[in-house]
Amino acid sequence: MILDLHLHSELSDDSRAPVEAYLKLLRRRHGERPLDGIVLTEHRQFDLRRDYRALEDQYGFLILTAAEVETDYGHVLVYGVNEDILGRFDFTNVRLPAQEVIGEVDRLGGVALPCHPGRPTVGLCSHYASKPALEGVVAVEALNGGSKKGEDERVQELIRRYGYGAYGGSDSHLVSFVGICATEFDTAIRTIDDLVGALKGGGYRPVDFRHRRAA
Amino acid sequence: MPARIRFETVEEGDELPARDLLLEKDQVRAYARAANQWSARFTDDDGARKEGLPGMITPGNMTMGLLATLVEAWAGAGTLRRIGTTFRGLVLPGRVVKLCGTVTQRVESDRTVEVDVWLETDEGERAVIGTATVKFD
Amino acid sequence: MPLDLDPSILGQEFDRAEYGPVTAEELIAFARALGETDPRYTAAGPDLVGHPTFCVRYKGKKFYPENLPKNINVRSGFDAGKDLELGVPVRPGDTITVRSTAHEIYEKTGRTGSMYFVVIRFTMTNQRGETLAVVDNRFMHR
Repeated sequence: MILDLHLHSELSDDSRAPVEAYLKLLRRRHGERPLDGIVLTEHRQFDLRRDYRALEDQYGFLILTAAEVETDYGHVLVYGVNEDILGRFDFTNVRLPAQEVIGEVDRLGGVALPCHPGRPTVGLCSHYASKPALEGVVAVEALNGGSKKGEDERVQELIRRYGYGAYGGSDSHLVSFVGICATEFDTAIRTIDDLVGALKGGGYRPVDFRHRRAA
Repeated sequence: MPARIRFETVEEGDELPARDLLLEKDQVRAYARAANQWSARFTDDDGARKEGLPGMITPGNMTMGLLATLVEAWAGAGTLRRIGTTFRGLVLPGRVVKLCGTVTQRVESDRTVEVDVWLETDEGERAVIGTATVKFD
Repeated sequence: MPLDLDPSILGQEFDRAEYGPVTAEELIAFARALGETDPRYTAAGPDLVGHPTFCVRYKGKKFYPENLPKNINVRSGFDAGKDLELGVPVRPGDTITVRSTAHEIYEKTGRTGSMYFVVIRFTMTNQRGETLAVVDNRFMHR
C-alpha cells in the first residue's frame, strides 16, 4: 500500500491545493504515481471534525489527516492526533519542545516523526550538530518532494547512525506535486490507527516517483 | 499570433507550453526600473552582496509577472483573473529558468480554469510556486 | 520570541496614496521588461492596457502601520509572495489610489528559521472608483 504521508491543502497558509483536485490528479496519473491514498498534514493546526469520507467514496482513495508542527528541533509530523494530544499541545506554538512532543504523542496514542530533517539550519541533521539527539524517534522523512539538492542525501547518514526508519512524502503545496514522493507499506492501512501502528512497527520504505512520466 | 486555447478543448492535467528563459541581468534591471523597484539588491552584484545576498537577485514581482505572461500566452491576453505566488528561493539572473504550468481544475459553470504555475531554476529547484485563475469568454 | 500583536491594527486602513496619471510609456516599458509581446500590452494606441501585474508597481507611502509588534525588524526583510486579484485593467491616463491595511501578521518557522510574516493588503482603484486590483503582499522578517 502506498501513501503520500506529507502534503498540505488550502487549509495550510502557504498551500493552494483543494483536496479534491489532489485526488483528481492521482486518479489521472495513477500509472506514474500508483498511490492508494494521502495523509493531509496541515501546518500548525488540526480539526477533529474534518471528514473526507465523501471524497474517499467518490474517488476511491484513502484520506487520512495529521498535522505538521514546529519544534525546537525543526518540523515534526504528528499522526494519530486526538483530543488528548490537542489538549496537551498548542499546535499554533512554533516553539514546541520536540522531545516532549515525541514522548507525549507516543504515550497518548499517536506517533510524531521529524520531517525534512536534511534542511540546512532548521532540519534535524543541523540540530543534532549542536544538541543532544532526541530519544524515541521512530523514523524520519528520507524523501521529501520539496528537498533541494543534497538535503535528502544528508538524511541517509542520520538514518545509518541512529538506526531510524525512513518514510517519504511529497510535501506538496500545489496540486501538481502530490505523490511525487511517498511511502510504501507492507500491510494494508484503512484507518489512522492502522497508520500509527504501521509507522511504529516498521515494514515501510520511501518511494520516489519524481522522474516517472506517463507512457 | 499563435492560436489561443479554447475553453472547450482545455482538460484537467493539460500542461502549458513550458518556457526556458535566460534571465539576463539587463532584463532584470529593466524590470526594476519599470516596476519602481530600483534598489541595489535587484540591480548591482556588489550592492546586493553588501545586503548579504550572493549577488543581484530577481524581484519576486518579476517572477510573478513572467508566470502571468506564460499563462496568458496560453489562454489569451486579458484572461487572467487572479494569480498568487510564493517566493521560496532566490532567483539569480544570468541563468536559465523554466516557467511551467498545469491545468488542475476546469469549472464549466463560469468557464474558468485553475492552473498551477511554477518557476524552476537551472538546479531543478522550484523557487516560485503559485496558482492562477483564467476566465474564458 | 512570541509576537506581541495588538489585534486592533488588523483590517484598519493605515495609509492612502495616489499616483498617476499613468502614461503609455510606463505601461509599455513594464510589459516589455517581462518579455511580453502581445500588442494589448505593448502597442501604443487607444486599446493599450496595463499588463495584469502592472499594479505591483504601486505601494502605499507608509509601508507598515505604526503599531506593528516591536519584535519585527522592519528594516530587513524579504518579499515572501503575492496574491493578486484583478479588476479592470489599468489604462493610460488613470490615476491609481492605493489603500493599505494590515491583513494578517503571524509567526512560523521555515527553511531559514523563525520568521514573522506581515501581510499588507493594497486595494487599488482608479479615478472612477473601479477596482484595479487587490494585492496581498506577504513580507518575511526575522
